Amino acid sequence: MSAYLSKRLLYMVIILFAASLLIFCLYASTPGDFITGNIKLTAERKAELREIYGLNKPMLERYGIWMKNALHGDFGYSLAQQKPVLQLFNDYIWNSFLLAAVSTFLTWVIAVIIGVISAYKQYSWFDTLVMIAIFAAMSLPSFFIGLFLIKILAVDLKWLPPGGIITTGSNATGLAYFKEIVTHMTLPVVVMTLLGLGSLTRYFRSNMIDVLKQDYIRTARAKGLKERKVLFTHALRNALLPAITLVGFELPALFGGSLIIEKIFNWPGIGQLYMQSFGLRDYPLLMGFTMFIAILTVIGTLLSDVLYRIADPRVRL
Amino acid sequence: MRKNAIVITSLLLTGSLLLSACANNSNNESSSGNNAAAKSNSTNVEATTPAETVPAGALSEPFTATDLSKLPAVAQKRTDTIIVGLTDPSGAFTPYFQQSGYDGNVSSLLYASLVTVDDKGVPTPELAESWDVSDDQLTYTFHLRKDLKFSDGSPLTADDVAFTWTIQYDKSYDGSSQLPSLNVKGGKAYKDGSATAIEGIKVIDPQTVSVTLEQPNATALVQLGSNVLSKAYYGKDYKFGDLEYIKKLHEKPLGDGPYKLEKFIPGQEVRFVANENYFKGKPKTEHFIYKTTEGDVWQFVETGEVDYASFSATDENIEKLKALGFVNIIPYTPSTYGYLQVNLKHEQLKDKLVRQAIVYGLDRQSIYVDAAQGAGSIANIPASPISWSYTEEGINPYKYDPEKAKQLLDEAGWTVGAGGIREKDGKPLTIHYLGSKSKNTDIFIAVAKENFEALGIDFQPEVFADFNSLVSKVEGGDYDLVSFSTSMLTDPADGFMQFFDGEITDYDNPKFLELYNKALATTDIEARKAVYKELYQLFNDELPIIFTSYKKTVYAYNGRIENLSVSPFIGLAGSLPTWSLK
Repeated sequence: MSAYLSKRLLYMVIILFAASLLIFCLYASTPGDFITGNIKLTAERKAELREIYGLNKPMLERYGIWMKNALHGDFGYSLAQQKPVLQLFNDYIWNSFLLAAVSTFLTWVIAVIIGVISAYKQYSWFDTLVMIAIFAAMSLPSFFIGLFLIKILAVDLKWLPPGGIITTGSNATGLAYFKEIVTHMTLPVVVMTLLGLGSLTRYFRSNMIDVLKQDYIRTARAKGLKERKVLFTHALRNALLPAITLVGFELPALFGGSLIIEKIFNWPGIGQLYMQSFGLRDYPLLMGFTMFIAILTVIGTLLSDVLYRIADPRVRL
Repeated sequence: MRKNAIVITSLLLTGSLLLSACANNSNNESSSGNNAAAKSNSTNVEATTPAETVPAGALSEPFTATDLSKLPAVAQKRTDTIIVGLTDPSGAFTPYFQQSGYDGNVSSLLYASLVTVDDKGVPTPELAESWDVSDDQLTYTFHLRKDLKFSDGSPLTADDVAFTWTIQYDKSYDGSSQLPSLNVKGGKAYKDGSATAIEGIKVIDPQTVSVTLEQPNATALVQLGSNVLSKAYYGKDYKFGDLEYIKKLHEKPLGDGPYKLEKFIPGQEVRFVANENYFKGKPKTEHFIYKTTEGDVWQFVETGEVDYASFSATDENIEKLKALGFVNIIPYTPSTYGYLQVNLKHEQLKDKLVRQAIVYGLDRQSIYVDAAQGAGSIANIPASPISWSYTEEGINPYKYDPEKAKQLLDEAGWTVGAGGIREKDGKPLTIHYLGSKSKNTDIFIAVAKENFEALGIDFQPEVFADFNSLVSKVEGGDYDLVSFSTSMLTDPADGFMQFFDGEITDYDNPKFLELYNKALATTDIEARKAVYKELYQLFNDELPIIFTSYKKTVYAYNGRIENLSVSPFIGLAGSLPTWSLK
C-alpha cells in the first residue's frame, strides 16, 4: 500500500507540473492579453504597461517566474481586481463551497434513498413515476428552472428572497445571520439538487437492480435473514461500491463554483469571477484558480482509488 | 412485421422531436434577450452605468410614481438607507488605480474633486472655489476652499493636490489615468528619475497650488481638478518607483467625499456611511449601499430590495416599470456615442464617397431606433446630444437613401458587375465586419445584409464572443468595419480620443489636427463651441468613422426618495448628499 501511495504521489507531482505548463501556454497563446482589452491606451502606454507587468517577456520565462513564485506560495496579484489572488479565493470560494457542499450532500442522500426503493420495487408505480421525474429533471435547463422559481416564490409569493447571500444592509450576527443565509440558500440549493439528482438516481437504481439479481442475495434470503438486513448490509453495500469512485470527482466540483446558478441568484461565488477573468485575460487569477482545480482533481482521483481499496477487499492496489 | 412497425414509429417520434426542438430555440432566444436588456455593453473595462439607448417617443419627461402604497414592506422599513444596484465593484477603490468603471462609481462617492462638471459638461467649482488660467493658457492656479478636511478629520491642503499629481508620473504607475499625457512641465524628467520633483507643480500656500503645462490643453482643467489623495495616508510609504504598497490601501480608502466606506463584502455589497466632514455638510441619508447585481436587477427592484437601477429605455421596460406603481422614472441620454470604426488602410474605404454611400445605404433608423424599441437615436457627429458642444447646424443627417448611395458608388467608380456585386479594377467591393456577440449585433447584421445586398456590396460579418480576440483582430488590421461605442465623454475633445490614443492611425488630415488643437488652446467655452461646430461639420462630411447611434436609458427609483437627480457625467454622486427619504 505504501509503495503504491508513494508511486501515485510521484505521478501526481509530474502530472501537475505538466498540467501547469500546458495551461500556462494555452492561456498565454490566446489572442490578446490584459492590456489589449483596454482600447483607450496609446501604443507607448501599452508598451510601458506590458513592461511593468512583465507581459513582454518570452512565454517560458514568464512560466518560470510564475512557477517560482507559486512554489513560495505567492500566486501574484489579480490584474483586474488589484488584490492578491489568494485573498480573492478566500473571499469568494467559501460561498461556492457552501452551496456545492449542501447540494451535493442532499443529492447523494436523496438519490440513494430513491434509487434503492425504486430498484427494490422495480416496475411498480413508484418506479415508473421516479423514472419520469428523473428524465424531467435531467432535461430542464438550469437557468430556466432558476428564473422560474425566482418569479413564483420570490417575486409573486414573496416567500423567499430573490437572490444574494444575505439581505442587503443587514447587520445580523449569530443565529439570525445563520437563518438569513439558510433562507437565501434555499432556492439555489433546490435548483442545484434537482439538476444533479437525475443522473445519480438512475445510476444507483441500475446498480441496485444488478446487485439484487445476484446469487448471494438469493442465498441470504434463503438463509432466513431479515429483508432489511439483506437490503442494506448485503445489497446496498455492494451497489454503492462503484459509486465511491464518483466521490473523488466531486472534490473539484465542490470548489469550482457554478457559473449559471451564481449569476441567476446573485451568489458571490468563484464561478462568475473565473469567467470574467478569462474575458479580461487576468492571467494571475486564471492560472491560480486553474491550478487549484487541477490539484483538487488529482487529489480527488487518488482519494477515490484509496477509498475503493478500503471498501472492496477484492481490489489489490 | 411488428418489430419493423415499432422501429419506424420510434424513428418518426425522435425525428419530430428534433424538428420541434429547432423551432423552440428561437423562442428561447427572445426570452433570454429581454434579460440582457439591462446588462452593460461590450467595452468591459471602462463601463460606467449599464447604459443602453433612450426611446424616442415613449418617455421624454420624468414619470412620477402613481401609487406609493404598493411600496414593498422591505423598502418601507428602510428609513435611513438607500440601496443602489451596481455590477460587480471589485474592491480597488483608490481613484487613478482602478481598472474597472464600477470601482469608479464607488470612488465617486468616497472622493470629491477640485473641479466638477454640470449637466452640460461645463466645469464648476467643488473643492476648489475658483481657478485662474494664465494668458498663455499654460498655467492653471487652483484656489482651495478654507477648512477642507478628509473624512478622518485631517486637513486637505495644496500639498495633497501636488502629491496626487506627482504620483501619477511615477515610473511604476500602472493605472489608466490620462494625466501623464497632459505633459506637465518637468513630468518626463521626474518619470525618468532625473528630477526628484516635478518642476511645473508649485505649492504657493496651503490653499493655492499651480501647475504649468508644456502646451495648452483645455481638458486639463477637469483632469487636473479630479480627486485628491491624502499625502499623509497615501504618501506615507511612497518611494519613487515603488507603488506596490498602494495595493494594500485599496480596500481602506481615505477620502473627502459625501460618504465614507463602512464595510466592503466582496461580491455582495459596498456599505457607506455619511461623512460628517464633507465640505458641503453631512449628507441627509445616513446609510448608502451599493449592492452587487451580477445578473438581472429586475427582481430586486420589484421586491424593493434595490431603490434605484437603470434600464434600457425600450417600450417594454418602461411599461413594466410604470406598472410597478411605486417607482419614478427619469429618461436619460448618456454622454457616449456608438460608431463603426473604418479601416482606412483598405483601398475601398479610402474614398470618402464610398464611406458616405455606406451611411446613406444603411437603414440606421431601423437598426438603432425601431429594432431597439425606441431605446436609441441616430448619431451624426462625435458628441452626445447633452453636451454643450452639440449642434445640428450644417450637419447632414444622412437619411436612409439607397438611391443616393448607389449614385455615390457609381461616381466613385464602383460599377455593378456580374453576380450583382460592384467592382472596380477587377476587385469586388467587400465589407468585412466584426462585431461583439450581442442582440444589437444580430440586428445590425440582419438589416445590414439586406441593405448592402441592395447596393451591390458583398457583406461578410464575423461575430466574436470574446472581446479581447476582437480587439486583437482589429489591431492586426484584418477588418473593414467594426462596431464600438465610446466610454463616457466628459469634454468634447474626448469624442476624438480614438484618433490620438492609438486606435485609429490612418486619418491624416491637417485641417482636423489644426481645428482640434485650436479647440484645446483656450478655455473660453463660446470660442471652443465655434471651433467644435466646424470640426463636427468636417467629420460629418468626411466620415473617418461612421456614426451610428446614441443610447437612451431610463433610471427607475423608489418613489420614497426625494431630491434625486442624475448627472450624465458624474452619475448620482453629485446629488446624492441631498437625497432624502419621505
